[in-house]
Amino acid sequence: MTTTTLKLNLGPQHPSTHGVLRLILELDGEKILSCEPDIGYLHRGMEKMAEQMSYIQYLPTVDRVDYLAGFFYSELLCRIVEGALCVELPEKVRVIRVMLLELNRMASHILWIGMFLMDLGATSPFFYTFREREMILRYFERISGQRMMYNYFVFGGVRRDINFLEDVEEILSILPSKLDDYEKLIEENPIFIKRVVNKGVLEKETALNYAITGVNLRASGVDYDYRKQDYLYKGFDIGKVILREKDSMARYRARILEIKESMKIVRQALDYLKKSSPLEQKLVNPINLKLPEGDYYADIEAPRGIASCFVRSTGEKEPYRLKWRTGSYYSVNLLRKLLVGEYLNDAIAIAGSLDIILPEVDK
Amino acid sequence: MNYLYFLYIEFLQKYNIPKLFGDITYYFIPFCIIAAALLVIVLALVLVERKLLGFFTQRKGPNRVGWWGLLQTLADAFKLLCKENITPDKADRFLFNLAPILVFVPMFAALGIIPYSSEFTFVNTSTNVILYLILAAFPVLSIFLAGWASNNKYSLFGAARSIAQVLSYELPMTFVILSSVVLASSMNLTGITLAQTSKFWFLGWFIFPNILGFIILFICILAELNRCPFDLPEAESELICGYNTEYSGMRFAIFYLSEYAMLFANSMFISILFLGGYLSPFGKYLFGSSFLIYFEQAFWLFLKASILVFIMIWIRATLPRLASFDLLKFSWVYLLPLSILNLFIVVMIKFAGGG
Amino acid sequence: MDWDKFNKIFEGCELLGNKIHIKSRLHEVIQFVIENYPYDILKEIIAIHNQDGTVELVYHLYSTVDEEDLMISICVNDETDSIVDIFKSAEADEKEIFDLFGIKFKGHDNLKRLYMPENWDGHPLRKDYIQDDTRLCWNDDNDS
Repeated sequence: MTTTTLKLNLGPQHPSTHGVLRLILELDGEKILSCEPDIGYLHRGMEKMAEQMSYIQYLPTVDRVDYLAGFFYSELLCRIVEGALCVELPEKVRVIRVMLLELNRMASHILWIGMFLMDLGATSPFFYTFREREMILRYFERISGQRMMYNYFVFGGVRRDINFLEDVEEILSILPSKLDDYEKLIEENPIFIKRVVNKGVLEKETALNYAITGVNLRASGVDYDYRKQDYLYKGFDIGKVILREKDSMARYRARILEIKESMKIVRQALDYLKKSSPLEQKLVNPINLKLPEGDYYADIEAPRGIASCFVRSTGEKEPYRLKWRTGSYYSVNLLRKLLVGEYLNDAIAIAGSLDIILPEVDK
Repeated sequence: MNYLYFLYIEFLQKYNIPKLFGDITYYFIPFCIIAAALLVIVLALVLVERKLLGFFTQRKGPNRVGWWGLLQTLADAFKLLCKENITPDKADRFLFNLAPILVFVPMFAALGIIPYSSEFTFVNTSTNVILYLILAAFPVLSIFLAGWASNNKYSLFGAARSIAQVLSYELPMTFVILSSVVLASSMNLTGITLAQTSKFWFLGWFIFPNILGFIILFICILAELNRCPFDLPEAESELICGYNTEYSGMRFAIFYLSEYAMLFANSMFISILFLGGYLSPFGKYLFGSSFLIYFEQAFWLFLKASILVFIMIWIRATLPRLASFDLLKFSWVYLLPLSILNLFIVVMIKFAGGG
Repeated sequence: MDWDKFNKIFEGCELLGNKIHIKSRLHEVIQFVIENYPYDILKEIIAIHNQDGTVELVYHLYSTVDEEDLMISICVNDETDSIVDIFKSAEADEKEIFDLFGIKFKGHDNLKRLYMPENWDGHPLRKDYIQDDTRLCWNDDNDS
């Protein structure tokens, strides 16, 4: 009897590929022999687009690079422009940005918990996480007018003064008890533990070699958080989240802990903002904005790893070249290694644990 | 034979129709009753499941069609009826179309065996426990047919998983059913039901000496029904829809409805084996000895089955899915030895009690 | 990093801030840097199509230990060495650059179109890419 392997197209129309990822799997029974990710189903040409747009035209579109964490990408572009023009941000703008970024990170991680559990086959936590995320999104909507594409950060400041701080207070008071609920529902569940502990072990060296950053790297035991050297976070007390287990469970735990750390940062920002005086900021005039000739580079610790933006300007209104670095792009590449030798239903769980968001991959 | 049969024959004799005709046509009556009841039950069950899942996940569930969303499943069924029936090009047309029929027919037959009350037992053979077991295992064949004939890799995976799953869970299930049979000294479902009567309310139910068996059987039935956490054959996040990925329109509806019908039938089956079937939990019936007693008995059976269904839905809302290896391991390493041990204990109890 | 030592081994390099511009021997340079300095992540490879027709590749190395950046840039015409054997993450970057800039990486065994269809003409992020209408459809003539 001869046996052959089976080629399986996982996606792009598949409920658990988070949109439009396509994995070409070679299977022996249910065991994966090789995995070839195929991306580009959501490609919008963000980089090409930038070359034909002025900076202020481009600013509203960058929220779409990662629609679950839009603030991070508009912050990156603002940072590029501010860095190029040597704009000093007022203290309050800095704090507002930190608070919104951290709230956004919380929203993104909370959504991930639901998605991950959905991949594992538990449907209820998905709805619970949406309920919690809704509070944060509603706050974003109140301050920026939009739930996902905020367009709230502008060059040199924020679009308008921060408001509705009591909403943030409410989020901070409700969320810890909800997180405890998740712990009860999820972490004490033997089936969940069986499916994540020692599954998808990502060694430190592999993670670094595959340029994995952010939470996934910290869950593999590398003490590296870009926020510590970020000027935006100056004066904030940022807790360490480092886990040594390296498996899917560690990545789950790391995100839960990260949400808790983010809450502490938001609390610090909130205390500052409550006492602060009305916002005074000097915005960059976006009309005819030209960056001086040269290369500009900015990094930020986004929810899915380090995001960075590179701009080469030739002194024109449009950037000569703009390049995004996104965390998910490298996580997808990692699947090629991490899924080999796993079984199909573990593979879904492992891919889910890396938190891959396709708009970020395709850009 | 039973009450309904005599009523029918009496009715025919009034019009001088020979008894032979009655004997032959009698079986259409239960068929119609089951068909009608089944439709109502399944439609209600789908709605209840969605409502309950909505409740568990802090949503409202369906609430737009009809009052309290009552007509939602009807609307869904109607929608599915109107949809095009697509047979994939590369599929085996004959088997592809045969599979939904094969899943529906045995499920229907299985419902005919269940004693709904002391008089409403349509097919009453002396060994209908075994008959039920065979009929309940039958849908797996059609799941396999569906998966194989679709010529779709996901369907094939679903089918293969389904076979592996049912093969490994059938065994402990049979051992547990055997323990009830031993306790009742009967292979007839009515006999098993009646063996559970006792003077003290519900203390005669077999769940009390045999709670371990009840739990094992419940888990096995969950696996047999492909319910969460054993829903690997149709694991949405892995296999899209498993064996029925390629089915659309009415054929999909048949799979969907028969799944729920089987859910209810199996719940009734567990109730009969362990929860006293149609017996009242109070030891005596509220309606004394009037004609209504038969309906009361059916009500008790349905109530017990509904509670089991509720627990199944609850489990579905709570638990993630098992991995396929753990699933098989769970059966062969834990359930099978436990069920054999359980049978052993039950036999000891039975004969120590002088049975 | 020790610039003098570096400059002695690889001649003709320029140091601009934290960016080293090299002329050739890309694979060796990166190998050297990895072996001698604690850079452990290849954050990304940035490709820029210059006005003079060459493509500048900027290899952005990063050290998670001392949190330092190092950029190594090189101008290539249409072919260069792949560094997949040093950094696996380059696999993804090189594939993207091949697709969008048309640079072939020697040693990368899986160079395929990533975003664009297999039979697409041209490489969109090059400055000489013409966006006329005939290119915005599938070109079946090239299908082989």
